[in-house]
Amino acid sequence: MHDVMYFLQQLINGLTVGSAYALIAIGYTMVYGIIGMINFAHGEIYMIGAYVSLIVITGLAVTSPAWIPLVLLVALICAIIVSSSMGWAVERIAYRPVRGQHRLIPLISAIGMSIFLQNYVHLAQGSRNIGFPLLIEGGISLGGGEDGTFQANLSYMQLTIFIVTLICMTGLSLFISRSKTGRACRAVSQDLKMSSLLGIDTNRIITATFVIGASLAAVAGLLLGMYYGSIDPLFGFIAGLKAFTAAVLGGIGSIPGAMLGGLVLGVAESFTSGYLSSEYKDVVSFGLLILILLFRPTGLLGKPEVEKI
Amino acid sequence: MIAQNFRHALFCAFITLVISYPILGLNLEAQGISIKLTGAETQTYVGIALAVLIVFLFQLFRPAILGGLGRVKALNPLVDRQPMPQEKRIRFERVALVLIVLGAMFWPFIASRGAVDLATLVLIYIILGLGLNVVVGLAGLLDLGYVAFYAVGAYTFGLLSQYYGFSFWMSLPIGAVLAAAFGFVLGFPVLRLRGDYLAIVTLGFGEIIRILLNNLTDLTNGPDGIGGIPDPTLFGMEFGRRVKVEGNTSFHEVFNIPYDSTHKVIFLYLITLILAVFTLFIIRRLIRMPVGRSWEALREDEIAARSLGLSRTAVKLSAFTIGAFFAGFAGTIFASKQGFISPESFVFLESAIVLAIVVLGGMGSQLGVILAAIAVTILPELAREFSEYRMLVFGAAMVLMMVWRPQGLLPMTRVHINLKKQEAGVTDHA
Amino acid sequence: MKTKLNKLVVGVGASLAVMAAGTANADIKIGIAGPMTGPVAQYGDMQFSGARMAIEQINANGGVMGEKLVAVEQDDVCDPKQAVTVANNMVNDGVRFVVGHLCSSSTQPASDIYEDEGVLMITPASTSPAITDRGYELVFRTIGLDSMQGPVAGNYIASLKPQRVAVIHDKQQYGEGIASAVKSTLEDDGINVVMYEGITAGQKDFSSLVTKLKQANVDFVYYGGYHPELGLILRQAQQAGLDAQFMGPEGVGNKDINTIAGDAAEGLLVTLPPSFDQKAENQKLVKAFQDKGEDPSGPFVLTSYAAVQLIADGIEKADSKDPYEVAAALREGTFDTPIGEVQYDQSGDLKSFDFVVYKWHSDGSKTPVK
Repeated sequence: MHDVMYFLQQLINGLTVGSAYALIAIGYTMVYGIIGMINFAHGEIYMIGAYVSLIVITGLAVTSPAWIPLVLLVALICAIIVSSSMGWAVERIAYRPVRGQHRLIPLISAIGMSIFLQNYVHLAQGSRNIGFPLLIEGGISLGGGEDGTFQANLSYMQLTIFIVTLICMTGLSLFISRSKTGRACRAVSQDLKMSSLLGIDTNRIITATFVIGASLAAVAGLLLGMYYGSIDPLFGFIAGLKAFTAAVLGGIGSIPGAMLGGLVLGVAESFTSGYLSSEYKDVVSFGLLILILLFRPTGLLGKPEVEKI
Repeated sequence: MIAQNFRHALFCAFITLVISYPILGLNLEAQGISIKLTGAETQTYVGIALAVLIVFLFQLFRPAILGGLGRVKALNPLVDRQPMPQEKRIRFERVALVLIVLGAMFWPFIASRGAVDLATLVLIYIILGLGLNVVVGLAGLLDLGYVAFYAVGAYTFGLLSQYYGFSFWMSLPIGAVLAAAFGFVLGFPVLRLRGDYLAIVTLGFGEIIRILLNNLTDLTNGPDGIGGIPDPTLFGMEFGRRVKVEGNTSFHEVFNIPYDSTHKVIFLYLITLILAVFTLFIIRRLIRMPVGRSWEALREDEIAARSLGLSRTAVKLSAFTIGAFFAGFAGTIFASKQGFISPESFVFLESAIVLAIVVLGGMGSQLGVILAAIAVTILPELAREFSEYRMLVFGAAMVLMMVWRPQGLLPMTRVHINLKKQEAGVTDHA
Repeated sequence: MKTKLNKLVVGVGASLAVMAAGTANADIKIGIAGPMTGPVAQYGDMQFSGARMAIEQINANGGVMGEKLVAVEQDDVCDPKQAVTVANNMVNDGVRFVVGHLCSSSTQPASDIYEDEGVLMITPASTSPAITDRGYELVFRTIGLDSMQGPVAGNYIASLKPQRVAVIHDKQQYGEGIASAVKSTLEDDGINVVMYEGITAGQKDFSSLVTKLKQANVDFVYYGGYHPELGLILRQAQQAGLDAQFMGPEGVGNKDINTIAGDAAEGLLVTLPPSFDQKAENQKLVKAFQDKGEDPSGPFVLTSYAAVQLIADGIEKADSKDPYEVAAALREGTFDTPIGEVQYDQSGDLKSFDFVVYKWHSDGSKTPVK
């Protein structure tokens, strides 16, 4: 019985991190779907989101005895505002001028932007790991725990991550499928030139993509920063790499693919640590990526590419 | 129009404020056991205000400023200049290369020890840049895990010297060939993938190699790394103060000169120089050969190249393998220069830097890669006093370079034959 | 921002000092090599602050053999590649005595160069045994070894008689070195080590690891590594309801662990060098640091101070500025330093260096337990 509980606990751990990966992966996959570039600086946007929310939380806790949900909401809104502005600025400064160049040019520009943003935060906020207070405490027991057997828990923090991810994903799906901008997004991702001929302001749509991706990354920054417990200027890069892997795993360009890829990656990592060894966590996630790409070269849910002549 | 401009300028200024104030103006500081929010120095606020103002003014008068810049550019002789005629350009490149090599040969005798050591590092990056140039610049395969082959070369030498006492000269070809073999074996399944998928898979592969080196403690000594890697010898002569391997003699005793530690640094530099020139020469030849032409053909249009009968796999694999070969070369030299290697020398940033060298140099152009390698390695050293800002400036420079000069320092132009207009249809048999 | 500007000023000042030193040859150059930037810059600050203070005070007392000490400071970012460049620069600048480097992975390649070039080196912080076990003549340290600290921790754990022990490390030279020493001591003492596992430094999610520890029913966890990771493990363990005693080496004994782990840091056991700044005979020195607005309580401040002092005393004792003679003098003599009485063995290690087990509290204070 307790083995089942252990399995369940590791599954929950994996799904928690996986849903956050999915939130970040959306940013990669939407940008790739529309302009076909890897936005390497996206992980840094997520990191900045985490920093801003911690700054707001620390600031509010000092000035007023605050009601926690309100603090979180304010922090979330501020993080989204700063991150999406950052996403907007990054697109304007580093990507728009090089759009349409050789594929490698925007990539290098993005890597440069990523290094720049890392060091920007590093210089302003220092390189230390800073503790992130846990504002959502407690949890529910899922069973086990009798006479020393393993007890599985679902903490309220994990529950919050699931619920917020679910809300964001549903909202995004509705936005993409129902709204006018969403429809334009889909059109642009199918054929940029054609949709611009049909009167869609493609620049506006591309900007919107960056802003949406950055907002979701900010949400992930707040949630994961609090769940993990500390932030530092480098943690965006690692998370970004993982999220990008998730996006490719699910089929880059596909939004459901990003969600699926994030969850698969999170669970794979958790099971590797749980049943094998933490040392091989990254080996397994990258190995899994290589394997899937070998057998399904466009990822789990990606559309097969048609070679056009 | 003016109102719109004003609105836009206001918006940009606002965004500047939003992205700079919270991060720069509010600092999280650990005071004792709790985190406190402290304000920044007054000068930071002044800086933020200035940045906002500048952005506002620039956006407001953007048409005027850009128009003005355009006129300045017109005065700049570099912009509207005709491209150099082909013969002249080839001659220019050849002369430049020869001059660089000649200068490099005399460098150790005029420069200080630290400068020679730095120059050795530059040469290692030149070899890496030239190697990756084959993969990325010529064959158009985006490889983000190039550092893996570099690591294979370095560790081959480290392990061979540790377990079997191999010398530098024995390990150099083995390291390079082993790295090439890795490139070949890994390239096989992976090269079916296109563009960005290839990029992420090579990136993942680079990480896997590094993690394995770190985890296989029994074999590679894990994070402790491998120390005591020998220096290169010259016909059995060692350059250290004392002879370390039995049977060897020491350089200063043979020639009966007083021991001077700079001999070793200079010798290593010269070896690296020879290997770099060798790399340059081999790749220069390869570019002219059918295999080099087919790399470029495949890069330009894969479908057209295949329909002309080129084997996609063979062409891509050859580029991948040759690139890996030279990375192994560089790795062996690096191990010898450091005397100590550990997995932390082979992180993703290293791949990114080599890639930046290739792109900054102008993809495909060898002279460009050499200049870019020199710039990328030396600039941070010159800025050592301002080391806090070194990586910040490096990142910003990468972005600015891409925006202003995406074709790189010296873009590659292919050697081609001009058709004479008056005899249209008849090829000039040059 | 202010500290950064200060560093800039110091950096420029140091380079001016180097240039000035080029003209005044009578000075003795002391190289200080460590991280001024990068992820472990905070430990580098300790090193520079201790060494600068020593140079200042020795010069105020008339210098060494009538000559002034001049600091030559270089930043190695704790990157092995840059450490080699820094070492070559030191040799190039004519430095014959170096205090540094900080990270073992930087110290090791740099020491090869120093040994070859006849530069005497004292590291105030590198604890890897590999640094001094190569029979080098000019390599010393003013800190204990991983192989000394591991057994202290291991024997203490054994005295608590835990049923099931897990040993975790961060897969880095320092962390894995201590962890493996602890593990072998525990096994010699017949303690049941049920788990020995590495994590990735810089990683943040330890929920799977903690779940695994809970499943394995461990009652004692030893962690070899630094505070950012252990802080998160403590916090996530408390969250998951893992009830075990945690212990770590001096790399976790830092107030930052409290900002990360909060309450969960209460009761953590830490092996630390004795707090030199608490010793009665050092109070004057502690006051001098406080007057400068610096904190002398960091683990590497006074070891760096001692390293400079040992170089100065060694020169006086050998009555020569030749590093080989100074090295011989260091091996022979007994020196009185802020870290206690110092004697060296043949390999360049301290003959004795104590580690004490402390209990860490959630307010950032610590109390000795033995």
